[in-house]
Amino acid sequence: MVSLPYRSRTRILTQLLQRLGLGFLTAFAALTLTFFILRLIGTDPVDSLLAQGLTSAEQAESVRQELGLDQPLLTQYVEYLSGLLRGDFGISLYTQRPVLQTILEQFRWTVELALTGLVIGILSGLAMGVTAAWWENRFIGSFAATLASLLTALPVAFTGILALWFTRDLGISGSKIVMPASVLGLSISGAIARLVYSNLLESLHGPYILAAQARGIQRSFRLLWHALRPILPALVSLIALEAAFLFAGTVVTETVFSRPGLGRLMVRAILDGDYQITQGLVALAALFYTASHIIADWLALMFDPRLRETA
Amino acid sequence: MNSRFSPFRAAFLVLIISGLLCTGCQSTNQTSILRYGLTLSPSGLDPHINASAELGIPLHSVYDTLIVRHGDTGEFLPSLALAWHISADGLVYTFNLRQDVHFHDGTPFNAHAAVANFEYVVNPEHHSQKAAAMLGPYQKAEAVDDYSLQIHLNEPFSPLLDSLSQVYLGMASPIALEQWGPGEYQFHQVGTGPYRFIEYIPNDHITLERFADYAWGPAVYQNETAKIERIEFQFYEDLATRALALERGEVDIIGEISPQDALRLSSHEEFGLFAVPIPGQPLEFFFNTELAPTDDLLVRQALVTGVDRTRIIQTLFGDLSPVSKGPLSAQSFESLLQEDNPSDGNSPIELLERSGWVDTDDDGIREKDQRELVLNLISPPWGSNPEVAQLIKVDWESLGVIVNLEVASSFGTLKQIETEGQYHAIGLNFFGTDPDLLRSFFASDGVYNWSKYHSTDLDYLLINAASETDMSMRNTFYRQAIAHISEQALVLPIRDYVNLIVHKNTLSNLHFSAQGWFPYLIDLELES
Repeated sequence: MVSLPYRSRTRILTQLLQRLGLGFLTAFAALTLTFFILRLIGTDPVDSLLAQGLTSAEQAESVRQELGLDQPLLTQYVEYLSGLLRGDFGISLYTQRPVLQTILEQFRWTVELALTGLVIGILSGLAMGVTAAWWENRFIGSFAATLASLLTALPVAFTGILALWFTRDLGISGSKIVMPASVLGLSISGAIARLVYSNLLESLHGPYILAAQARGIQRSFRLLWHALRPILPALVSLIALEAAFLFAGTVVTETVFSRPGLGRLMVRAILDGDYQITQGLVALAALFYTASHIIADWLALMFDPRLRETA
Repeated sequence: MNSRFSPFRAAFLVLIISGLLCTGCQSTNQTSILRYGLTLSPSGLDPHINASAELGIPLHSVYDTLIVRHGDTGEFLPSLALAWHISADGLVYTFNLRQDVHFHDGTPFNAHAAVANFEYVVNPEHHSQKAAAMLGPYQKAEAVDDYSLQIHLNEPFSPLLDSLSQVYLGMASPIALEQWGPGEYQFHQVGTGPYRFIEYIPNDHITLERFADYAWGPAVYQNETAKIERIEFQFYEDLATRALALERGEVDIIGEISPQDALRLSSHEEFGLFAVPIPGQPLEFFFNTELAPTDDLLVRQALVTGVDRTRIIQTLFGDLSPVSKGPLSAQSFESLLQEDNPSDGNSPIELLERSGWVDTDDDGIREKDQRELVLNLISPPWGSNPEVAQLIKVDWESLGVIVNLEVASSFGTLKQIETEGQYHAIGLNFFGTDPDLLRSFFASDGVYNWSKYHSTDLDYLLINAASETDMSMRNTFYRQAIAHISEQALVLPIRDYVNLIVHKNTLSNLHFSAQGWFPYLIDLELES
């Protein structure tokens, strides 16, 4: 890793701390908004809770009181925040289990899917981007560029069903990791490929590539070391963003491939009006988005000396 | 070694590829493992606390109930209770229990265990979503002796026997209930049924295993013990993936297939189609009698007769779903229904004109008192309701009505729209095996009185029917109530709900409980 002068390090640290503070503010704002939006325009959880119970209005009111939903909104909000500070995310209205436990049980499935998808997305995106740039005016290059555009445009719901349809005679289970992760990964690979392609085209015509060529450095080495290195900061930022979006993508992927995970938990919680689970998931998503942006900023600073100088 | 395709490398490659492929391979031991595709991943799986119909598909075979209801005749038959007696005032139900039953954990089933179950259900801290309400005016349960159980009611409640025949009031091991409590019990369920509960991973799978000791099944079962060793349930919530799951060999049977997929798959030799009628309410739309113009009986009658229900059903469901005859489905309630014809032979145009809605300016839209005839039609998102509502809209528009169609995103949104009251017709239906279902929808204080209809005559019929223990008298009350609902054109019934189940032909002896949703897993047979 590059060694930084003291002043520069202090500036970077200050900036990262600022980002961290901003991140927490963002997460807090997301939580607050979710809390009020759910209660003001969302589904009444008691209505959903009793949807199939055919019970009386009195029973519904009694459940509402027991859950504290008859309290003023601000009282509910203060109670929720004080619970969060104690690490108490509440109890799910439906399962009557701690929210944190319910989320953590589904967390590993989504992490497994998202990380595998991310690796597949990065590798296939890099491969398509490099191919498109390196063989720019040849069929294979055009094919890779077109494929990248197509993958950016196609929704996961469509590619997922298509993948299930075409592999129906192969005996591969749709719910296992290989197929959903590939579909999810390919959905982000297009954006990565297009970034690599456009930056690489510029980079390949840079003076340092000419210099490397003049020094007799091999073509593949010029590409992988000299041309790819300058685009790393932009690539890392995009990957961090895509990683955050991957969690959103898992909602559809998990449904199409009938896999457990946070995405399906979120959909069910919203439809059921299970406030506690929805809020817990939003808190987690806000923290994840914030963390991924901070990590992306930090990595960009590490990789790009120009950013450090302007930090 | 300079060969690029050395045996070592080739073997390694084969190992990697087969490893990747086998990640998704299913077990090939089809003689003892059944893979069952469920269509909804329930938010909770404890039948005493949660309300989903889907949970009953596996759990109906994990629990036995005190009594069972015959699917064809509707009569109640012994199960864990060998005999029962209802006191003359309808307030005390006495059950004589079997003495040879034990739970999957080895503890005996007796009257004390049954009492513990009822106490668990009615405990207000457990927030039972369905089972507690099914007990009606429950007062207490007590063990008269080890094998005699009494249930005391605060007032007569005839639907109780039907409630006791349902999985939501299935008998669970009191030790397991106490050990795990609400929340965790759903992962550690212990019943007395033909299958033991093994594992539940939310959103992923439920696993059951054959209970070899089972020897106390009710007469509705054909086998004494289950044939299939293990049943694995998986969830396929996306309609588009259900038929694919079957075609891909991921499941042996799956329900709630779309009519198009059901017809396509049933034309293959490999698959069979089972169209199971679900008792309860048909898919229907309630007219708001408090908001003009549907506060006018003539308008409601015109809107009912102005919809070509046969065409709608043919378009969307082919021959796979029957046209509804009234506010209850013909399955189980055929004897209570009459062909609804609220218009007395008048055409919808005549009815609208008699109520003063006439197209005065020849623009194709009817007016009255200088106001155009506009209706807000609200559809639930489930059960093909949106497609049906779209076709209803077309029919009503042909009568000269402007129709604003809105599809609610969930039950909660639907309820919210109902609370605001700015709708003319709103879709809703529930499933059930007792006609007391009508009380929640048509009694003045019914929690789902979305017609907002208030009639002391109808209330009298529905309340008396619920407390009447004489079946013949009870049915008379219901026939009169249904005739009243039909005359007042309170609902637009469309079609009786049918669950389209497609299965591999290696699976046989499929038949269902009175509730329609729940297969008797004990009787299923799977060829290798």
